[in-house]
Amino acid sequence: MENQSINHKNLYYPPGGILLWIVIFLELFTFGIALIAMIMYSKDEPEVFHNSRLLLNSTFGAINTLFLLTSGFFMAKSVENFKMNNMSKTSLYLKLTMVGGVLFLILKSVEYYGKLGAGLTMGYNTFFSFYWMLTLFHVIHVIVGLVILISIYFGIKKEKISTKLEDIEASAAFWHMCDLIWLLLFPVIYLLF
Amino acid sequence: MKKKLFLKVWIILMVLTIVSAFVSESNMLYASIIVILLSVIKFLGVAFYFMDLKKAHVFWKSSVLIFVILFSVISIILI
Repeated sequence: MENQSINHKNLYYPPGGILLWIVIFLELFTFGIALIAMIMYSKDEPEVFHNSRLLLNSTFGAINTLFLLTSGFFMAKSVENFKMNNMSKTSLYLKLTMVGGVLFLILKSVEYYGKLGAGLTMGYNTFFSFYWMLTLFHVIHVIVGLVILISIYFGIKKEKISTKLEDIEASAAFWHMCDLIWLLLFPVIYLLF
Repeated sequence: MKKKLFLKVWIILMVLTIVSAFVSESNMLYASIIVILLSVIKFLGVAFYFMDLKKAHVFWKSSVLIFVILFSVISIILI
């Protein structure tokens, strides 16, 4: 089998496809505007935001960043191996990518459990309203990303592989989008105030 | 070559994440600005290397750059 490739220099074929990149920009602008709104609200209630930020565990946030970045690394390796028609390694790296996503969700659940137990719910104050809305919205994206990766995984495990390079690149672009969103959320929510 | 490139990018991203966590906990002057700038570098690392955007049309590369520059400048002004 020959190595697979797409000419990404073409305006209409960015890695992952033009439609997915439109979605990526919509998501980035949505989260970006919400984070800027959060920073603006912090000017009205600086003490509330500072004290609330101290109630967050920034170590959890940093470890989750490491999980997502590592998962993104494995995803990039998976796409690279798919292009070289090395399906066993593609499958292995895809599994490792999903493990990274699951670890992220487990740690996030632990964090949420602690916050709910301490009564730090969405209505607690303005900071926690932003915290819950933004991080939960991101968690939904990670879950959707995992579902996409699972379907790709079973697609390449079939004897007669129907998964195309466009499919795996699109799923990778969605997964990396979760990384990109988290890279904006992590410093603003966990480190700034 | 590319195998090692992904690994190098991943190591840099790991180091930058740890550095940004330490900077935010320090009493360093302009810590917030440094944290934002470090996350911009990480964002571009993921977009251009892991997402292979460096191979894409200049329109997509410049759109991502414009977004991240806009976001960081507005954030830094507002902090």
